[in-house]
Amino acid sequence: MIRTFVRTLSVAVVYLIASGHVGSPDTWFEGNAGPYPVTVQIQTAGVVPGVARVFVRVAGDRPASVTIQGNKFDAQGAAPPPEPTEPVASDPGLYAGKIWIMTGGSNSVTVNVTGPRGNGSVVIPVVAVAFSRYPLSTPMVIGLSVLGVFLCVGLISIVGAAIREGSLDPGQPPSDRSRKRARFAMGLTSVILGLLVFGGAKWWQSDDDNYEKNMYKPLASAATIETRDGIPMVNVSITDSVWRHRNDASWLQQHDANAWTPLVEDHGKLMHVFLISEDMSSFAHVHPDSKDSIDFPARLPPLPGGRYRVFGDVVHESGFTHTLVSALDIPATLQLPAGTADPDDSWLIGLKPNEGSTAALEDGSTIEWERPKKFVAGNPGALRFVVKNADGSPASLEPYMGMAGHAVVARADGAVFVHLHPMGTISMASQMAYVMRTAEDSVRGRLGKRVSEAEMSAMSHAAIHSNVVSFPYAFPREGPYRVWVQVKRGGKVLTAAFDANVSAAVESGS
Amino acid sequence: MAVSVPAVSRTSGTATSESDFSRAVATEWPIYAVLIAATSIVIGLIWDISWHRTIGRDTFWSPPHLLEQGGAIISGLSCGYLALKTTFAGTASERANSVRFWRFFQAPVGAWVCIWGTLMMIISAPFDEWWHRAYGLDVTIISAPHMVLASGMVAIQLGAMLMALGAQNRARNESDRKRLGIVFSLSASVIVLMVCVIIMEDAAYANEMRGSQFYKITGMVIPVFLIAFARASRLSWPATRIAVVYMLVLMISIWVLQLVPATPKLAPIYNPVTRMVPPPFPLLLFAPALLIDIIMKRFGDKRDWTLSVILGTVFVGTMVSVHWYWAKFLLSPNARNFFFGADLWDYTRRLGPWRYEFWNSDLGPGGQRSLVALAIGLAIAVAYAIVSARLGLAWGKGMSRIKR
Repeated sequence: MIRTFVRTLSVAVVYLIASGHVGSPDTWFEGNAGPYPVTVQIQTAGVVPGVARVFVRVAGDRPASVTIQGNKFDAQGAAPPPEPTEPVASDPGLYAGKIWIMTGGSNSVTVNVTGPRGNGSVVIPVVAVAFSRYPLSTPMVIGLSVLGVFLCVGLISIVGAAIREGSLDPGQPPSDRSRKRARFAMGLTSVILGLLVFGGAKWWQSDDDNYEKNMYKPLASAATIETRDGIPMVNVSITDSVWRHRNDASWLQQHDANAWTPLVEDHGKLMHVFLISEDMSSFAHVHPDSKDSIDFPARLPPLPGGRYRVFGDVVHESGFTHTLVSALDIPATLQLPAGTADPDDSWLIGLKPNEGSTAALEDGSTIEWERPKKFVAGNPGALRFVVKNADGSPASLEPYMGMAGHAVVARADGAVFVHLHPMGTISMASQMAYVMRTAEDSVRGRLGKRVSEAEMSAMSHAAIHSNVVSFPYAFPREGPYRVWVQVKRGGKVLTAAFDANVSAAVESGS
Repeated sequence: MAVSVPAVSRTSGTATSESDFSRAVATEWPIYAVLIAATSIVIGLIWDISWHRTIGRDTFWSPPHLLEQGGAIISGLSCGYLALKTTFAGTASERANSVRFWRFFQAPVGAWVCIWGTLMMIISAPFDEWWHRAYGLDVTIISAPHMVLASGMVAIQLGAMLMALGAQNRARNESDRKRLGIVFSLSASVIVLMVCVIIMEDAAYANEMRGSQFYKITGMVIPVFLIAFARASRLSWPATRIAVVYMLVLMISIWVLQLVPATPKLAPIYNPVTRMVPPPFPLLLFAPALLIDIIMKRFGDKRDWTLSVILGTVFVGTMVSVHWYWAKFLLSPNARNFFFGADLWDYTRRLGPWRYEFWNSDLGPGGQRSLVALAIGLAIAVAYAIVSARLGLAWGKGMSRIKR
């Protein structure tokens, strides 16, 4: 049993689904902390409570200080004091620090920059969940076992010595009777210790099972094809019983479950659904509507038949973000007329591998990926794209759901999926929920309504002044990836796709 | 080393001269060293718990950890030296007062237990570090590595107590017996304090004192120690002395901690505390301890089975009688002051009416508070206490014979 347990633990650190995205646990943000442009990477520990590592890159002026401050979405008592960061000697402009994240769920890290242009700060939502399993290495197993055996033998010997000689008058040699009693006591101690070790192993196993059971899993969902008014729809349905009973306090109490906060719109949509064929040749980004926050039907684009991975991004009022994961089989015989129910829906089908740096867009313009010579997992700065007109001049872009562009990164086996914006992996609605929350927001739904209104207002005023779209990100693992980039021109959403083979990160030991 | 005075050179009934006193200090220093170690461990633990309830963030080198580690170092070094000295360069009396370990090494029983406890504390550090990485930072106090650590701490305290006990039982004159009896009593108090701190989460808050769970836990855990130590002690009113020291140390901790300004350094903060959060007011153990002393004195060393039934019943009965109304007082505004330190909660607690309510009530089949369920629960508590008392009597009898 112990061997099985050790083997279970001895697997390498396994990244499962990391909330908000799939297999991509780091939080990335690019934006402004007051007058200072910053890029922030937050590496959560993979366990909760745990210590997250925070890296802040400040562009331009050298700041006098960069501090970081963690908080939880509903903590109304006070905020903890800011933590200092230290400049990274080998990388000017980069600052590193640590934040303790004590409770799971929707947390935040506020980055404060002080420098020649005064003070500036920005709040970055961080989803903290348990998603990793830490290995019990062989040297550790051997070391603990040897010490454990030594201590057990030591304790048995101490009991024997105490019974044999402990109650004798000073200097008196032990009698046969006391030796006999000592042997009996040592035998009894061995049995008790054996039971304790056995019980301890069972306890440890039980703790491990509980940990595994409580590791983060997205809300259970299922994708099906339904026909409504003669139009084929993809319906992403949240089947998770905790979600379905979210307003039933007694059910939640009986099942020891926490109540989810309501969903809020992100970029004006309650859910962003991505359908990616298993061979990654077809891709769609659609936006369902929902009347009950359980069924999310969206018009099915004219995708070819086959098996699709379905990813549904949602944001809770708490700032917590989810990617719902399911699968969908589209029959080859299904007739799917072109047309959209939502003008922001888009798709790209029949893609061939594109290892190059340029892709043609539907309107004749091109998008160029300033790709590095080599992709290495963990190396940031790989996703920068330039959109040009057919004649090579800079192309003008329109806001696509309030952003200069959207990108989707997926590994060929579906183990990694992330939906990116120029501001990073975070959701704009989630960030607004943190900024706008007040002490009076204890009534569910009240904050979400304000967040949606504010986001819609911000989107209506958005303007894009550059033909360069970049996404702060680093590929989390090695493997073959496809990257879809979406921009908007002439009122039309244009999608391009690129491929990248990412090699494993070289362990620096840092 | 642990021998108070070499048995071969002792004369009974003589007053201790200055040279005797110096010699006693010279030979007894390990007893005092491990008593200091045991005390710093339990004080460090009380401080550490307060640190987690107030500040949150700590390091391996935080002051309470240093106090606990300091205890382990004192224990390990002093007893390690004692074992080596006795084995390789011990005097005849030192060797005479020791036991053999693996047929070669020699030291008093208590020293071996202290060394074992130190090793347990050391081994718990990498285990705990691994546990934090695997399952999170101190998700719960009752975790496997914490239990290894607690075993080590308790072992050091038991070792300290055994060293004092052996010396007390060897003492040939009243002066030594009294001095070493006091040392034994103090080291026994440290263990009772440690045990009460370990069960603090489930059996310390006034809110818990009207549910049978509180009496089951205290009935199971406390009598075995209190009764064993009372039987092994050579002082008068032994259990009462131990209970009073336990209460005094905890009360002083409450008062001192409240004086120290501190604020939380981790989120989420639901209760913005500004001073160190103290432990809850100590259990009123002096009451059952007083009755234990009276009953044990009356019974002597005879009829242990009858005695354990009486002691177990009296322990729970006294605990219920005293804490039932004491709890009401502690939850009242009259206790919310510096002296009692009531109503002071962790920074992670969302304050609400639960603070002034009774928890863990015994419920009937309908989910309502039930006197029958409470009575059944208390009967179980008495059964636990009887078993605990019987074990304590047996353990105490064994300890009273320890001479090395």
